[in-house]
Amino acid sequence: MVEKTLTVKGRLGLHARAAAKLVHVASSFRSKLLLQRVDGSAKADAKSILSVLMLAASRGTELRALAEGDDEQEAMKAMEQLFFSGFDELQEETSNR
Amino acid sequence: MKPLEEIRWKGLGVSEGIVVGRVLRMHDGTRYVYRARIDEADLEREVRRFRAAVRLGARQLQKIKKRAEIQLGKDHAYIFDAHLLLLEDAKLIRDVETHIVQERANAEWALKVVGDQLLSVYSEIKDDYLRERGSDIEDVIQRLLVALSGEQPAHRNLSQDAVIVSQDLLPSAVAELDLEFARAIATDAGGWTSHTAIIARGLGIPAVVGLRDFYRRAKTGDNIIVDATRNEVVLHPSRATREYYRGEAEKLRQRRRTEAVAESGPAHTIDGIEITLRANVELPTEFAGVTNYGATGIGLYRSEFLLTPRGGMITEDQQYAAYTDVARIAGEAGAVVRLFDLGSERTVERDEQKNPALGLRAIRFGLRHQEVMRAQMRAILRAAAEGSLDIVLPMVTDVEDVRRARAILQEEEAGLQKRAVAYGQVRVGAMIEIPAAVLTADKIARVVDFFELGTNDLVQYTLAVDRGNDEVADWFRTLHPAVLQGIEHSLRAAREAGIPAIVCGEMASTPAYAVLLIGFGATDLSMTPTSIPRVRHALSNVDSRTARAISLECLQCESAEEVETLVRERFRAEWPQVFSLRSLPASRKKG
Repeated sequence: MVEKTLTVKGRLGLHARAAAKLVHVASSFRSKLLLQRVDGSAKADAKSILSVLMLAASRGTELRALAEGDDEQEAMKAMEQLFFSGFDELQEETSNR
Repeated sequence: MKPLEEIRWKGLGVSEGIVVGRVLRMHDGTRYVYRARIDEADLEREVRRFRAAVRLGARQLQKIKKRAEIQLGKDHAYIFDAHLLLLEDAKLIRDVETHIVQERANAEWALKVVGDQLLSVYSEIKDDYLRERGSDIEDVIQRLLVALSGEQPAHRNLSQDAVIVSQDLLPSAVAELDLEFARAIATDAGGWTSHTAIIARGLGIPAVVGLRDFYRRAKTGDNIIVDATRNEVVLHPSRATREYYRGEAEKLRQRRRTEAVAESGPAHTIDGIEITLRANVELPTEFAGVTNYGATGIGLYRSEFLLTPRGGMITEDQQYAAYTDVARIAGEAGAVVRLFDLGSERTVERDEQKNPALGLRAIRFGLRHQEVMRAQMRAILRAAAEGSLDIVLPMVTDVEDVRRARAILQEEEAGLQKRAVAYGQVRVGAMIEIPAAVLTADKIARVVDFFELGTNDLVQYTLAVDRGNDEVADWFRTLHPAVLQGIEHSLRAAREAGIPAIVCGEMASTPAYAVLLIGFGATDLSMTPTSIPRVRHALSNVDSRTARAISLECLQCESAEEVETLVRERFRAEWPQVFSLRSLPASRKKG
C-alpha cells in the first residue's frame, strides 16, 4: 500500500468537472484508491464521483491518498500529477495542448 | 371520451410565429413523490425497474452530451460527463437498492430519501461554489425520477412537434434542450429580454412567455397552439381551431419566405439614409444566420457563452479558435467581441453578492481578475491577425474604466510583440448601458473608438426594473421618456465626437423601435439575425425626417403610456401599410 498527502489546488476546489476527471483517472487503475480528509472527517472511494463530491474539498484542502493493489505505484503517480496540475481547466488544458 | 375544453391563455409573444403542436413539459425541479409499500414478492421487480431507469437516464445523457457538443460546443457539454458518472455511481445505486429492499419502498421514494440525504450533506458545505454543485446531484435525481415515471416514451413520440412548456427555462436547462425537436416554447415566467426570449429568437422558433400558472395545467402530450403574434397559447384546441391555426401558420411562413429573400447589405430609408444592419450572436447554432439573413458583420458577440454554463474558464487557445471562427463568419465588415460579462449570473462569486446586477461584474470583474481579462485580450488580438475584430467593454461607468482596460490591452499587445506572436489591430469601444455612462457620454466618447448602446440593460438600469422579474414586468417600459432621452443623448455625444455608434439591444430587433432609433440619429443597428429581414422591410419604407419628428415628439412625453399611444397613432397614420396594429406597442396599464 502507498500513501501520500495531496493538496487541492484548483481555484474552484474539487467541483464536478474536476471530480469527473479524478474518477476517470482513478477508474483506469485496478488498485483500490481512497481519499481521506487529513482531519479524518470524511473518506471517499476515488472511483465514485458521489463519494468524491461528498469530500467537499475546497481549494487548499489536504487529502490523504491511499492506493492498494498491483498497480498502486502507477495509480498514485497519476493521482499526484492530477492534484499537482490543480484540476484547473485553464492551466491544465494549456499544458495538454 | 369527452373532448377537453379549449383554454386560451395570454402571455407575451417574444419570438414571432405560430405553431400547432403537442406539449412537452420540462421539469424544473419540484416533483412530488409518494411512498408506496412494495410486497416482499415484488421487491426484486422494483429493483429491476430502478436499474432500467438508470440505463434509460444514461442513454438520454449520452445523447444530450453529443448534441450539446455539436450545438453548444465541447465546453458546455462537459457537465454531462459529471452527470453521467453521478447517474451510474455505484454508491448511489447501492444506497437506493438497499433502501428499496430494507424499507420495502417504491423506487421513487427510495431515490428521494437517498437523494435528500446526499443533498443535506451538501447544503452544509461551507464553500459557496462547491455547495452550489448540489444542483448537479439534484439534476441527476430529477432525471431518474422522470425516467421512473415513464414520461419518456411519450417524449419520443412527440419528437416532431414538441412545444416546450416550462415554468422557467434557466440557461443551464437551455443547454439540455433538444433544440432540433423544439418547435416552440411557452413559459410561466420571463419577459421580452429573458434568456428564453433571446434564445428562441436566435433559433427562430416562436415563444410566448409570462404565462403565469399555465405550466401546471398542461400535460405532456396535450394539443397546444402557440401564437406569438397574438401573445397567446391555446390548450386543448378543437380540430377546427387546429385547422384554422395551421392555415395561419402557413400564411405566416409564406410571408416570411418573401421577406427572407437573400437581401443583404445596408438598408436605405425612402430619403436615402443608409442604415447598417449587423447581427448579434452568441451560440454557434446562430452563426449560419449571419449570412442567411444578410447581416453586415457581427455587431455584438456575447463572448461569455464560450464559458461553461457553470462558469468554468476556457483556455486562451480555445478562445483564439472561437474568435477566429467569429471573424471568419463576420467577413469583411468584422465582428465586435464584448469582453466577458461575468459576475452577473454565471460565476463563482454569484452567491457572495447580494445584488449581482449591481455587483462585481463585466469590466469590473475583468479589472479585478486581470488574468481572465488578459487571456481574453490576447486571444482577441491574435485572432485579429486572421480577420477584422474589435473589442467592446461591458458596463463602463466612466473614462477611468476605459483607460485602465486600454492600458492592459497595450501591455498585452507589447507582450505579444516581444514574443513575436502575430496579432492584429483592434478598436476599443464602450458599452453605453449604465445611466452614469449616458450622463458622461461626451467624456467617454473622447477616449473610445466607438459606442455600443445596450438598450436592454439601459432600460433595466434607468428604470431600476429587473428584466427577469415577472412581478415588475409592467414597469419595464422600453419607451419610457427617460430611456429615450438617454439614447438620444448618447447618440448625440457620439456624433459630436465623430465616432460611430452601434445600437445593439433588443430594441433594434423590433421594427417600430428601430424606426424610432433612426429618428434619434442611429445609422448602425445590431440585432438577432432572424429579425433583420423585418427591420430591413420597415426601414426601407419610412423616411428618416418623419421618424425624426416623431422621435423628438416622444422626448416631450410625460410617461411611457403617453409615448406608446403617440407611437401607435403616429405610425398608423404615417405608415399604415408598414405597421399593423399588432406590430406596434400595446397599451398597458401598470398594476
